[in-house]
Amino acid sequence: MKEVGPAPQNPVSVEHPVLLEECGDLYERHSRAIYYLALRFLGDPQKAEDATHDVFLKAIRNMDQFRGEASARTWLYRIAINHCHNLRQAWHDRHMFPSSDSTILETTVATESPLRILETKELGGRIQTALDAIPPEYRLLLLLVSDEELRYEQIGALTEQSTDAVRGKLHRARKAFAAAFAKTE
Amino acid sequence: MKQQSKFSTNQQQEQAAESHTTKQAAKEFESVERLLRHDAAQTVVPPAIAQRLRESLNEPSAPRPPWWRRLLD
Repeated sequence: MKEVGPAPQNPVSVEHPVLLEECGDLYERHSRAIYYLALRFLGDPQKAEDATHDVFLKAIRNMDQFRGEASARTWLYRIAINHCHNLRQAWHDRHMFPSSDSTILETTVATESPLRILETKELGGRIQTALDAIPPEYRLLLLLVSDEELRYEQIGALTEQSTDAVRGKLHRARKAFAAAFAKTE
Repeated sequence: MKQQSKFSTNQQQEQAAESHTTKQAAKEFESVERLLRHDAAQTVVPPAIAQRLRESLNEPSAPRPPWWRRLLD
C-alpha cells in the first residue's frame, strides 16, 4: 500500500482574510531567524523589515503549498532566500549600495544600559562590515549555519548544492569572514 | 625597594586580570557561528512587522495573474 505523506498543515484559503493568530506560532517561532537573515544578508534594517513582512505574508497566504516534508523553518528560509536574492539583484541593477553602519546599528535591545548598547552596536556594525566584505554566497552560508536548527543537508538543499560542497565553502567562508572581521578592529 | 616590589605585584595582578578578561572575550566567540548566534540573539525583531502583517492579512490578496503572464514574467 502506498504511503500517504503528511497532510498539509493549517491549509488556508487565499480567498478569505487570514488572521496572524490563526497561523499558530509560525511568526513567533521563526520571525527572529528570518529577520536576522534578511538584516545581515541585505545589510539594511528597513529592507530587512520589508522582506520579513513579505516572506511571512507569502508563506501564510500559501500555507496550503506547505507539504510538511521540510520543516517550517526550512520552508520559510527558502522563501526568504529567494526574496533576498531578488531584492539584491534589483538593487544591483540600480547601482545601489548597502547602507552605512549608522542605520544598521539601530537594531539593538532598547532595554539595555548605554554601555551595553554601545558594545552591541559596535559588534553588530563590525559583523555587518565583515559580512559585506565577503562574497554573498559565503555570507548566506555563514548565516544559515549559525542557525542551530539547520543541518548541513538542509543548508545544501536550500542553496542547491551537495553537503560536501557546503562543508568546503563554509571552511573558506569562515576564513574569509575572520580576515574581514579582523580588519574592522 | 619594597614599595617597588609591591607596585610590580599590583601591575602583575592587573596584567593577569586584563589577560583573563581578554581570554574570556576571545573564548566567548570561539567560532564564527557562535559570534553570529550571539548577534542574532541580540537582534530585536521590530514590532511593526507583526502589525503590518496583521493589516496585510486582513486585506484581500491580489488576483493571481493568468498563466501566460506568469510564463512571460
